Amino acid sequence: MANKSEIFKNRQTYPISLPAINENGCYEIRLESIGGLGANLCGKLLGELGAAYLGLNAAAFSSYGSEKRGSPVKSYVRWSAPQYDILHNSPIERPHLLVLFHHALSKTLPVTAGVDENCTLVVNTALDPEKIRNDLHLYAGTVCCVNALELALDSKSRINMVMLGAVAKASGFIPIEAVKELVTDTLGKKYPTMLESNLKGIELGFNNVTSQTFLPDQHFQKVEYREIRSKWGYKNAPLGGANTHFGSTVSNDLSPSREGFIPLFLPEKCIHCGLCDTTCPDMVFQFTNGEYKGKPTMMNRGLDYHHCKGCLRCVDVCPTGALVTGKENEHPDKKWFVRNKDLITENLDFEPQGADPWITSESYLDEKRVDGGLM
Amino acid sequence: MKTAKQKLLFESGNELAAYAAKQINYHVMGYYPITPSTQIAEFLDQMGADGEHSIALIPAEGEHSAAGICYGASTGGGRVFNATSANGLLYALEQLPVQSGTRLPMVLNIACRTVSGPLSIKGDHSDIMYTLNTGWIILFADSPQEVYDCNICAIKIAEKLRMPVIVAFDGFFTSHQKRNCYVFADDQAVQNFIGPISIDNTSLNPKQPVTIGSYMNEPDLMNNKYQLHLAMEKARTVIPEIFAEYEQLSGRKLSALKSYQTDDADVLLFVLGSAYLTAKAAVDKLRDEGKKVGVFTLGALRPFPSEQIADLCKNAQTILIADRQDSYGGGGGNMSLEIRAALQQKGLTAKVISRIYGLGGRDFFERDAIELFNFCYDENSPNFDYFGTYPGEADFNPKPYFEPITDNQSPALISFTEEDGKVTVKGATVRDTTARPKRLAPGHGACPGCGIPVNVNLLLRGIEGNVVLLFQTGCGMVVTTGYPKTSFKVPYVHNLFQNGAATLAGLSKMYHKMQERGELPKGDITFIMVSGDGGMDIGMGSALGTALRNDPVILFEYDNGGYMNTGYQLSYSTPMGAKSATSHLGEKQWGKSFFNKDMPRIMAATGMPYVATAAESEPNDFIKKAAKAQYYAKNYGTAYIKCLSACPLNWGDKPNTERKVISAAVNSCYFPLYEVEQGHTSLSFNPEAKGTKIPVEDWLKMMGRTKHLCGEAYAEIRNTIQQEIDRRWKRLKALSEHPEL
Repeated sequence: MANKSEIFKNRQTYPISLPAINENGCYEIRLESIGGLGANLCGKLLGELGAAYLGLNAAAFSSYGSEKRGSPVKSYVRWSAPQYDILHNSPIERPHLLVLFHHALSKTLPVTAGVDENCTLVVNTALDPEKIRNDLHLYAGTVCCVNALELALDSKSRINMVMLGAVAKASGFIPIEAVKELVTDTLGKKYPTMLESNLKGIELGFNNVTSQTFLPDQHFQKVEYREIRSKWGYKNAPLGGANTHFGSTVSNDLSPSREGFIPLFLPEKCIHCGLCDTTCPDMVFQFTNGEYKGKPTMMNRGLDYHHCKGCLRCVDVCPTGALVTGKENEHPDKKWFVRNKDLITENLDFEPQGADPWITSESYLDEKRVDGGLM
Repeated sequence: MKTAKQKLLFESGNELAAYAAKQINYHVMGYYPITPSTQIAEFLDQMGADGEHSIALIPAEGEHSAAGICYGASTGGGRVFNATSANGLLYALEQLPVQSGTRLPMVLNIACRTVSGPLSIKGDHSDIMYTLNTGWIILFADSPQEVYDCNICAIKIAEKLRMPVIVAFDGFFTSHQKRNCYVFADDQAVQNFIGPISIDNTSLNPKQPVTIGSYMNEPDLMNNKYQLHLAMEKARTVIPEIFAEYEQLSGRKLSALKSYQTDDADVLLFVLGSAYLTAKAAVDKLRDEGKKVGVFTLGALRPFPSEQIADLCKNAQTILIADRQDSYGGGGGNMSLEIRAALQQKGLTAKVISRIYGLGGRDFFERDAIELFNFCYDENSPNFDYFGTYPGEADFNPKPYFEPITDNQSPALISFTEEDGKVTVKGATVRDTTARPKRLAPGHGACPGCGIPVNVNLLLRGIEGNVVLLFQTGCGMVVTTGYPKTSFKVPYVHNLFQNGAATLAGLSKMYHKMQERGELPKGDITFIMVSGDGGMDIGMGSALGTALRNDPVILFEYDNGGYMNTGYQLSYSTPMGAKSATSHLGEKQWGKSFFNKDMPRIMAATGMPYVATAAESEPNDFIKKAAKAQYYAKNYGTAYIKCLSACPLNWGDKPNTERKVISAAVNSCYFPLYEVEQGHTSLSFNPEAKGTKIPVEDWLKMMGRTKHLCGEAYAEIRNTIQQEIDRRWKRLKALSEHPEL
């Protein structure tokens, strides 16, 4: 190491001591999200916060892979006191702080794996901690709820900024001044026009956390962190990676990729032109033979929402307004929800989305939407 | 010497490789995007756009050419840099011995990744081990900090020995993980350390003409290779000297061999790369239990520090060598084989065990390191094995979800008439073709609103009967075939990025040959290659070859205007002026600097029977063209269709508006719709005649990647783009009006 006195520092540090460390001397944070909400950036900012503002050793990385919006992403942050090296490069299995950007993920993925009574969770949600605990089937821990989407809209900021503020509050030891200075130094330099609203977002996140602690009480079991293994192994997998199970992605339930909106179908307005089926990337529309205005023709029977990612392309091309945008939570029952017509199995167990959550690159685009996505 | 002033950063291995390159200020970097090394070029592009360095960054159309650019540049006597991974490295491999054999220094960063196939983008050491015999010095960094340090030493080592140097590190674990790190506060400190470049016998001195790259016969070649060997031997003293000098400057020690708690250890573990750090933590845990264990690793693979390794291992009883790759049939990975040889040379008799671990980026936990150590205490443990495999569920027998889509399932909906060299299609309407079963299953992992499945489905609606699909590497392939699932309901083949058309040509020939010999039943299969994400850059040669031979296949290009599967680097089909991860906007740069490639014209020049462009905004036209392509492939030879394919993530627009964006591209004549049938060009859609023509600005402003061009500051570039579009459009109209063209 170079002589510390020779290393120039252009900023003050906020002396803190980590409230808890594991057997390797680390305080560990895991962020769970879908691509596009800015969790990856949030993780990097937390790493930088530790390294440059809190005087800690820090490491930050994400689950790796290709760039895809809407697929599950995990981001990891490790902090240690400066005298301890961070030696581990593996995913964080038992986080001290778990940050859920997209709580719909919990429907299909074990996002709360490794959580015990000592863990603090920060959840982006409009629900209260009690409901969230039940929703997540959470064993125990302190649940901190923040309505980051709404607060991001209020402050014209982004979800990840609000979440940063909420994380600072929930952690109990991260000074909000340090977070603000970090964001001013980094994002503020790159996007000066966004700075005021970003700082506002952080502050709103910090000040609008509702929390409650749950002790282990037999309601829910502890979930251990496990490697996901496929049923094909070296003894039974077809040679060379050949995949004989054709069309098997149909068993993926992609609804967690949606960001709150779905197309609604008004069959009485439909003229069965088929344009929706030409624009849907996800084969959601089900056309079969029928009769329309006394003539035999192909008819639109409805949508299989298991595969709808909520892109709303269909709403844009529908010439008669038979497809309109709706808020998903306002339409739990959909009469026009039909199963994929080509399936030949009666029982199909939908599985977690399964797409590898991948981040390989910085986004080149400057402009971000209010909800954290790209403009 | 006093240590130089440094500053704290929080950066990844890739960022630090780029930062070191910026401080060195290389003359030229030739590169081609491949995960996980791509970021190095991206960061350098960003810094270049901001005026922080003056390196010429040259985006090649493939790694082979990138290596060629680097080689050519290095003959000129300047400083040259490159970065790649995995199959990119293998594609460039033949250039590596050229670089070392002609003794031209340069630095190549390798973010190590597993070599395809099956394709995976994650980290292991199967790529770097291919370079052991290339005559390059190979440094290996186990942390982002070492990536920086090694890069600064590498150029100095390279120039001192006149040898090229690789700096290798773990893909993702090191390339993408951010850590506290220190860099020199002043670029000049780096410049002072590496000194001025001085290479003699360059190709850029007309007063002293030099022939570089002689033809050599046996004895001369032998002597040349001996010189290379001598240089490698000399490196054994030069590298430590330069490392020592660097330690004085930085306070950080680099070493060809690194170890932890090995002095009194009975049991030793060898691991390479980032796993070394995790293994250190395991050593601490086992030492607490009273076990005398230690771990060692290498900071340089070439020259291989055999003597030091033997010395370090002389008192050990058991050594476990964990390889992150296998030299199949060799009894271990390359590190196993070389370390065993080093021990044998000194007559050491320690028990040596090998384990293959962590392939394809399989995580390496501390408990894994502990388990590896424990093998050494187990007398029954085999000498060689894979670590971390599982047999699978014996009774797993997945039931089919669908009927396969054969000609029985795919109804005949379309009829053709041919007159005067023109084919007319009937019945391929949007409504009727909803009856065609989808050959792709839903549930694929494309981004919401992605154009790829939209366009592939439109194409396949126009195709009757049996289909075999081939995808070149790209987004379309990655999102549909993530094991253990696949979206395809018809036979499907993947081959690498540059080779799809040739692969399909071979397959179609096999089909016809087997039919001819009566080994396959009579009938018909339509063979379709699907490529995008820049695949027509690196794969253009293969596609042109197929078209020139007139193989009876359809080549389908979804043009999403960039390398989207690797995070949107510019491809040759990216619009001029568009921002991308390798064409940033900044005071010195305004996006991509050259025009989009006119691929249909290039294909048409082969004289192939059918070339067409199609757009989802004209779905009936699209389906008819697909049907025609099948007709031509069946009756005349190769057909090529190119469509513009929306990428909401990287175009920077909203998923639900993509059809409008595509429509605007057509109406602006950026993407005119036309066909070339048997050499005769005809317009399919004339925005002028329809009164829908718009200036290109109206399209550019719809996308985050191009909307900056609509500002006053870029008026000149915008006009240049408009002029080129006008020129191509006028030319196209003239072709369509001429009876012979």
